Amino acid sequence: MLYIIGLGLADERDITVKGLEAVKSSERVYLESYTSILMVNKERLEEFYGKEVLIAHRETVESFSDDILKDADKVNISFLVVGDPFGATTHTDLVIRAHELGIEVKSIHNASIMNAVGATGLQLYSFGQTISVVFFTESWRPDSFYDRIKENSTLGLHTLCLLDIKVREQSIENMMRNRPIYEPPRYMTVNQAVDQLLEVEEKRKEKAYTEDTLAVGVSRLGSDDQVIKAGTLKQLLDVDFGEPLHSLVLVGHRIHLLEAEILRENAVDLEHLNLVLKRDYNVDK
Amino acid sequence: MVNFTVDQIRDLMDKVSNIRNMSVIAHVDHGKSTLTDSLVAKAGIISSAKAGEARFTDTRADEQERGITIKSTAISMYFELNDDQMEDIPVKDNGNGFLINLIDSPGHVDFSSEVTAALRVTDGALVVVDTISGVSVQTETVLRQALSELIKPVVMINKVDRALLETKLTQEVLYQNFARVVENVNVSISTHQDEKTMGNLMVSPELGTVAFGSALHGWAFTLRQFAVRYSKKFGIDRNKMMKKLWGENYFNAKTKKWSTKSADDSGDKKDRAFNMFALDPIYKIFDSTMNGRKDEALALATKLDIALTSEERDTADKALLKVIMRKFLPAAEALMEMICIHLPSPKKAQAYRCDLLYEGPKDDENATGIRNCDPKAPLMLYVSKMVPTSDKGRFYAFGRVFSGTVASGLKVRIQGPDYVPGTKKDLHVKNIQRTVLMMGRSTDPIDDCPAGNIVGLVGVDQYLLKSGTLTTSETAHNMKVMKFSVSPVMQVAVDVKNHQDLPKLIEGLKRLSKSDPCIQTFTSPSGEHIVAGAGELHLEICLFDLENDHAQVPIKTGEPVVGYCETVQATSSLTCLSKSPNKHNRIFMQAAPIGDDLTKAIEEKEINPRDDFKERARRMADDFEWDVNEARKIWCFAPDGEGPNLLVDNTKGVQYLNEIKDSCCNGLQAVAHDGPCANEQMRGCRFNIMDVVLHADSIHRGAGQVMPAMRAVVYASMLSAKPTLQEPVYLVDVQCPESAIGGIYSVFNRRRGQVFEENMHSSSMYNVKAYLPVAESFGFTTDLRSATAGQAFPQMVFDHWSTMGGDATDPADKVNAVCRAIRKRKGEDENVPTYDKYHERL
Repeated sequence: MLYIIGLGLADERDITVKGLEAVKSSERVYLESYTSILMVNKERLEEFYGKEVLIAHRETVESFSDDILKDADKVNISFLVVGDPFGATTHTDLVIRAHELGIEVKSIHNASIMNAVGATGLQLYSFGQTISVVFFTESWRPDSFYDRIKENSTLGLHTLCLLDIKVREQSIENMMRNRPIYEPPRYMTVNQAVDQLLEVEEKRKEKAYTEDTLAVGVSRLGSDDQVIKAGTLKQLLDVDFGEPLHSLVLVGHRIHLLEAEILRENAVDLEHLNLVLKRDYNVDK
Repeated sequence: MVNFTVDQIRDLMDKVSNIRNMSVIAHVDHGKSTLTDSLVAKAGIISSAKAGEARFTDTRADEQERGITIKSTAISMYFELNDDQMEDIPVKDNGNGFLINLIDSPGHVDFSSEVTAALRVTDGALVVVDTISGVSVQTETVLRQALSELIKPVVMINKVDRALLETKLTQEVLYQNFARVVENVNVSISTHQDEKTMGNLMVSPELGTVAFGSALHGWAFTLRQFAVRYSKKFGIDRNKMMKKLWGENYFNAKTKKWSTKSADDSGDKKDRAFNMFALDPIYKIFDSTMNGRKDEALALATKLDIALTSEERDTADKALLKVIMRKFLPAAEALMEMICIHLPSPKKAQAYRCDLLYEGPKDDENATGIRNCDPKAPLMLYVSKMVPTSDKGRFYAFGRVFSGTVASGLKVRIQGPDYVPGTKKDLHVKNIQRTVLMMGRSTDPIDDCPAGNIVGLVGVDQYLLKSGTLTTSETAHNMKVMKFSVSPVMQVAVDVKNHQDLPKLIEGLKRLSKSDPCIQTFTSPSGEHIVAGAGELHLEICLFDLENDHAQVPIKTGEPVVGYCETVQATSSLTCLSKSPNKHNRIFMQAAPIGDDLTKAIEEKEINPRDDFKERARRMADDFEWDVNEARKIWCFAPDGEGPNLLVDNTKGVQYLNEIKDSCCNGLQAVAHDGPCANEQMRGCRFNIMDVVLHADSIHRGAGQVMPAMRAVVYASMLSAKPTLQEPVYLVDVQCPESAIGGIYSVFNRRRGQVFEENMHSSSMYNVKAYLPVAESFGFTTDLRSATAGQAFPQMVFDHWSTMGGDATDPADKVNAVCRAIRKRKGEDENVPTYDKYHERL
């Protein structure tokens, strides 16, 4: 049996009871380490589970999945994923390959940023397509997310922006030379994301959003020191959100009075927020 | 010898119309360095130099030992024309004194990249041709190089003394010999010259662009000198006289009449004017001195107004001959005059060379500065090579100021060959530590150096690999990179004898790479350090330098091996597919050959990645039968962004394709050096992206996902398109007497060589041309010498890639065996993979 287990958002104790039981029953336990990170290290997990945890890098999962799936038809294997197993589309391939090998797969769900973002007070019902913002490089500045945001904003929907993390990536040059040298980990901050968003708007000029668009930045959601701040994009450019991971939500125009209420609670600058709400979102007190 | 101080030289540098930058180029052993010596002895301006020292420009011990030039060396000379000579100078606003910057270059083909580097910084070339062996393969090669750089040639027909002393040709035979050499030179010139830009460059004795003489004996003449002598006597205008002294012009000494026929109606034989007026005095001097008739010789000398000292009068035979000839027709006088009159000044040359040399807009301030050779315009300086300093591991950057003025301490933009205008790629902004005057073996610091001059720079070497552009203008594009006529086709693996020396070897390899314009050093996938050069001699010299100069540690070298290329001979038998590691992206591809003509056009830079893509597409449609729309969708050239392999977007209506374009290009670049069959460079392949399926979110289709998919699909598509190898082939030119021809054929036959031309070019000498695979060339020279009792001298230059045919993936095929051998050498699985190793089925 292959268990794909969601670990939740913050620390080792966010795992579900069902998940913990599955881990305890498993011969080998892998922790997928490249799509997201927990706020605690692997040793804390091992201590809590009383079991060795193997780190599975991108190469292991993508190119050597057979190692992970080895003997999974006979014994239990746990594959731990931060958040929910299918929060991102990445792991569907592992499931397909397991099925091809005749291995039974059971997934154990957990909280993910995709639902925990409700903590911002914005209703999950009113979210549109989720997008990712990748680190721009000198030559690679993909802006296809702009069209997604624009579609959302046209319908007045909120947009959840997942921010790029590079836990263990090769530089292009090292990739070209096939050298196994990895760059130090990088996690995109809300400030960087806003900066890139504004750069794309500057280029496209289709008003999918502007620097006055309201947005909510969150960091370390689900942990004790989580930060939620609401303000215009321009304001968020300078707010310090602290340690990773960060996410960003662009507020759509179909905002409900109650949603606005919670935004006010988290406002960077309440007076300005009220002004923008009234002026651009047609929400009065 | 004129002794000049550095300050005086610096003053000369400002008088741009009186500067001549020129190279001496020729086939090996035709006498360039000896000729240069005789010029230096006369007019070199290095105060510390010893006059007449042999092979002044051969600065290295091994050059002196082997008697060949390996590195090109610059030397400056000063020459004053008399008022009479000044009449023929087009621009005379700077007095009679001329500064001549001469670069002596190697003649051996293996070093012709040095010639390229020399030609770039000069405007004119003195082409030296041996009277006896005539125009040889390397003469043609260097002429072609010179003309493609828009360098104006003049010719010196050398070793005339041998024609008289050894082969004892009659006057008329010698004239015919001269005429044939001139004609052969002109055949090469007319084939390669750019008549639109520079006018007709064909040389001719009656115009004074051909000199005859003996560098060894220190004498030479042009018809101008004889014309001056005789125009007074005959009362004929000098220029008319020159015309009469060449070709079908005869003089009857009895009737004192000129004619264009060799015999008049009465049947009296008349002498050709050239023979009578130019050759006859020379023959007489040779005859009298060498046959012991000293009195007659001395009388002749007096008649010719040659003043001899009493010591000189005491000499006899050859010594006396040299003395008389040297005083009668001093070589330096004739050649300097020819150089000053017929070669262009930097100002004149840059006006027409600018468009070729500058890559940017033809009307920006930099182009204008180059065109006008303006010392006040922004600096444009091209570094054409690196010259080792006495300080180990450091180099002078050797180059030419084309515009502006370079000075010590000046802050400049150092733009490497990969610099892209408007970016910081391959760009450094640094101060020039020192500017120096490069003079053969010595250097002298100067404060600054204005446009039109050749200069050495200190403090630039760390920022440039081999060559590049220096400028003070932020908008400047690069000067065009040099195109070499030789390729590094022969490789050898090097390693240290003692393991702890490895860091020194790696540092040494870097220095070696810098010191030679053509050498390549790299690490193979299996971890070997490879040095690649043009031929056996080139490698031998470079490895010697590596061990003794650059690394200074004992090294061991493997057997030399040949670099192959991988190509395809058909369109992929199926549309290949590879998925990204996360399986969310798919690339569909087919490979196909692009044909020899287009491959060559890309290698020759006629089809260039930097060209405007619409214009390029048009030309590809017109000349290479491409579909215009497909030609417009060429994503990249590979390897290194400029090689002869193309990535073409054949997809229709794929959204966000642009976001993966860079990753696709990088993916191809990453494997273009290492083909699937034998890890050799790809050549002549076209990769058509037929379709792609992408994940909806850009985070899942980054470089880390697309590049591996691209690599795999490139391999799969090549392996399913009848892949094979191409091997490099030398053009071999052998000169030998008739008796040696049998031996030559047998050596070629043993080594898969093909003789395709056999010419008799003088009474007893033959010229054999053949193709020889580089792989069969190891020890060829030695083999040939022993088979012909040392009478045959080969020159080998890379000529083309020959496709080996077959299918490299078929274990029964010959080419498969070659691949297996290469793979084994590289420490890889010997079996050539088939396409299904990389192709994924749906």
